[in-house]
This record gives sequence, C-alpha cells and structure tokens, in this order.
Amino acid sequence: MLSVQTKYFGMLSCREEEVFEFHRGMPAFEAEKRFVLIELPENASLVFLQSLTQPMLCFLAFPILVADRDYQLAVSAEDLAELDLDRGRQPELGCEVLVLALVSLQDGFSATANLMAPVVLNLKTRRGLQAIRQDRVYSHQHPIESLSPGAAC
Amino acid sequence: MLVLRRRAGESLLIGNDVEIEVLAISAQGVKIGIRAPRETVVLRKELKITQQQNKAAAQGLSGVDFKQALEKLRSNSRIDPALR
Repeated sequence: MLSVQTKYFGMLSCREEEVFEFHRGMPAFEAEKRFVLIELPENASLVFLQSLTQPMLCFLAFPILVADRDYQLAVSAEDLAELDLDRGRQPELGCEVLVLALVSLQDGFSATANLMAPVVLNLKTRRGLQAIRQDRVYSHQHPIESLSPGAAC
Repeated sequence: MLVLRRRAGESLLIGNDVEIEVLAISAQGVKIGIRAPRETVVLRKELKITQQQNKAAAQGLSGVDFKQALEKLRSNSRIDPALR
C-alpha cells in the first residue's frame, strides 16, 4: 500500500495498481506524473485527482458526461497512442476510459469545467493525459450551472 | 488584427528573426513552418490556455470553505447520485 498525503483528506492509502501514470505530466504541472482518483460517497460525481508527489496539487473534476451529457470525444491520434489506445477510433467512455473535466472555482463559488482539455484515463493500463482538443467545439470555461442533469456515465 | 493572404510556399516575417512559412494547405488544415531563435517560445494557443486553466483549477478550495463549496457545487450540478 502507498501512503498519500492529500490536500483535503489528510493521509490516505492506496494500492500501487490504482495509480494513474501521466508520462507527460499536466500542462503547467509537467513534473507531476502520478495521480490517484479520490471519490467521496457523499459527493456523487465529483472526484478529486490528487498528485502523489505534490500534496497541495489536487484537481476537482466531473466525469465529462456529467458536465455535458452529449459530449463527443475528439482525442488526437497522437494522444490515443500515448494512452495505449486504438488510434483508429475514439475510446468508449466508462469501459475503456474515464474522461474527466477539471473544475475551476471562481470567486463567490461560481465554477466552470474545462471541456476543451479533458483528462483521459485508460482504465486498463492506468495511463492518463490531458487531451487538448484542436477544434473549438467546447469551452475551457463551461459554466457548471448549466450542467445537464440525468447524464449517464 | 492584420490579415494577409499567403499561398503555400510563401512566408512572412515578424520582427527581425521570426519567419512563418505556409508549407501546405489541405482540407484538414494548414501546415506552418516557424523559423525563430531558440529562446523564442512557440506554443499552440490551446496549450497556453490549458496551462492557465490548470493553474486556476489547482487553486481549488480553501480549507475553511471546503464543505460549503462542495455543497454548493453539488447543489448546482443537480446530479442524481444513482447515475454514477
């Protein structure tokens, strides 16, 4: 078991096989290459992406379909290869990959989700990366008030 | 914004030491070559936006407001727990 110092929950433990490896790190946090997901039973849908090496680095995130129930993935061939996924098609949400939208909180608790650069996690190989879209279909500051209820993951 | 029309193979200069060349044009996009000094940072704009957005997201919640903010987020998002 690994001991993880977390930003919000004190010391937690997790198994090595639960760790997601981000070989490129995250944009602006390139040195952080290992993250774990923390889910709270009382906070359905909201998840925390905690860095293993930097206790103060913990992102809040929603599964992408919670942020937009019709969300269409557009992961580049290069990113798919980095994730050990089939380059010829988009991966299946929930089965092959977990896709998260990172949440930013502005003053006064208004919050936005980044739909332009979702975090894609390969559930089988535990590889992860932030897949920046090259189109302009989705906003990097999607207001959370307009979240669609009733989204299935 | 300055708007110029260029064909494949043509280029333009920015300042004394940056050259942008249009290499090829296709339905999928425009292939651009950039000649610039090593210390000049060249980034896709969406990467810069993602870096800034990640820094904002990493601010997260302050300890005192944590529970309150979570509660607010949860009520805003009106998510049915059964959907997880």
